[in-house]
Amino acid sequence: MSAVGGRDAGRKGADRPPIVVYEGVVKRFGAFTALDGVSAQVNRGEVVCLIGPSGSGKSTLLRCTNALEAIDSGRVVFDGAPLPRRESEARHVRRRMGMVFQNFELFPHMTALENVAVGRSTVLSEADGTAKVRARALLAKVGLADKADNYPSTLSGGQQQRVAIARALAMDPEVMLFDEPTSALDPETIGEVLGVMKQLADEGMTMVVVTHEMTFARRVGNWVIVFDHGRIVEQGPPAQVFDAPREVRTREFLSHLGWGGDSG
Amino acid sequence: MDIDFSPVLDNWRFLGFGLMMTIVLSVASMAAASVVGASIGIARSYGPRPLTIPLAFYVDTMRAIPVLVVLVWTFFAFPIATGITLPPFWAALVALSAHIAAYIAEIVRAGIASVRPGQARAALALGMSRAQVVRKIILPQAIVRMLPAYGSILSITIKDTAIATVIAVPELMRQSETVAAQSFRPMEVFTTTMLVFFLLLFPVTRGVDAIYRRVAHLGRS
Repeated sequence: MSAVGGRDAGRKGADRPPIVVYEGVVKRFGAFTALDGVSAQVNRGEVVCLIGPSGSGKSTLLRCTNALEAIDSGRVVFDGAPLPRRESEARHVRRRMGMVFQNFELFPHMTALENVAVGRSTVLSEADGTAKVRARALLAKVGLADKADNYPSTLSGGQQQRVAIARALAMDPEVMLFDEPTSALDPETIGEVLGVMKQLADEGMTMVVVTHEMTFARRVGNWVIVFDHGRIVEQGPPAQVFDAPREVRTREFLSHLGWGGDSG
Repeated sequence: MDIDFSPVLDNWRFLGFGLMMTIVLSVASMAAASVVGASIGIARSYGPRPLTIPLAFYVDTMRAIPVLVVLVWTFFAFPIATGITLPPFWAALVALSAHIAAYIAEIVRAGIASVRPGQARAALALGMSRAQVVRKIILPQAIVRMLPAYGSILSITIKDTAIATVIAVPELMRQSETVAAQSFRPMEVFTTTMLVFFLLLFPVTRGVDAIYRRVAHLGRS
């Protein structure tokens, strides 16, 4: 990443090798180019926020990060090694990353506790009892200790998303990927999910967050990447991107969202 | 009009044996069709193309032939074509199972396809293998989702056993015909037959509905 080397000297985690590096990533869906040569990196301990209009490639980049989507050219390097192409090997990389989805995607046939425990018992072949002890602790961490035996259908959106975060954390991930985690939530429950994410960030978790919550990106993010039409328009620390954007497209996008600066 | 139900009462053991045969044939056909149908449905959903093409052909063929024709062919034509003679009960079991399995295969395939792709993505993201995703995440939800359709097939199967009378399987319909012919009381005998089928099927369909209402939320992602 020579292009950003000098400017990034003060970037969080720059003293250690990055956890994820994207090198000229291209992803096509038929004739549509979702990612058109994306290069960026995620440092350890950093909260990187991906922002930009819908369909600009943010979520696709997230799915390419844990090989849920195969890329057409370029490289995604995780912890120093390019992502494996073979499905059987991709599993071993995926379990080191946690992922949280817009629609929660909790497993409806399992209780909250089982949802959180299933990764450890299935993927790590951990004893059921041991996995559940861990799962209980994680539910407590996201403030849902009392909902352990509830099925997802009996939980609110915000509660479901917090269970989903606990489920991802159960695998002790080295990086957490959030794909618009609050977009499907009622306004009154967005706060509880962002609160848990802020807590994770404070604990030093490495996070990549696709979000439309500009206040979260501004306050919690360490690095912001602006997407448009499958390309990175601009990236930098939030203070620069939000308060003094260099690119016209960034200014247009922010003003379209009604972003008038972080006055609070 | 002169009504006399005594032939029904006098022959209750004979008719009861028919009811038992109907139940045995229904349960056996449904069990065999479920195993074969589920295997075909899963193979069509996840199997390689060389496997899915002949299976699709099988399913389409069975759905395009009346079950009565399959039954008659199995009993009368199959022995001549292959040299293997099947007793009536076994011919009925094979024909009904082969026919119903095609429908169950479609129900299973639709059930699997109806689970949203995000569920598989979430499971893969945890690091599960494809096989684990299918076994632990997709199939349990698909089974819940296919319950209402499976219940319909169950009642259709029980009703379809009545056609086994044409190859002289001594099930309820066949036994009823015998009693009706000997007693000259078709109105009383066949009314009883109708009532017995209704009393057998009504709790079955209602029961499946009730079970589904209780577990529906487990398949709702």
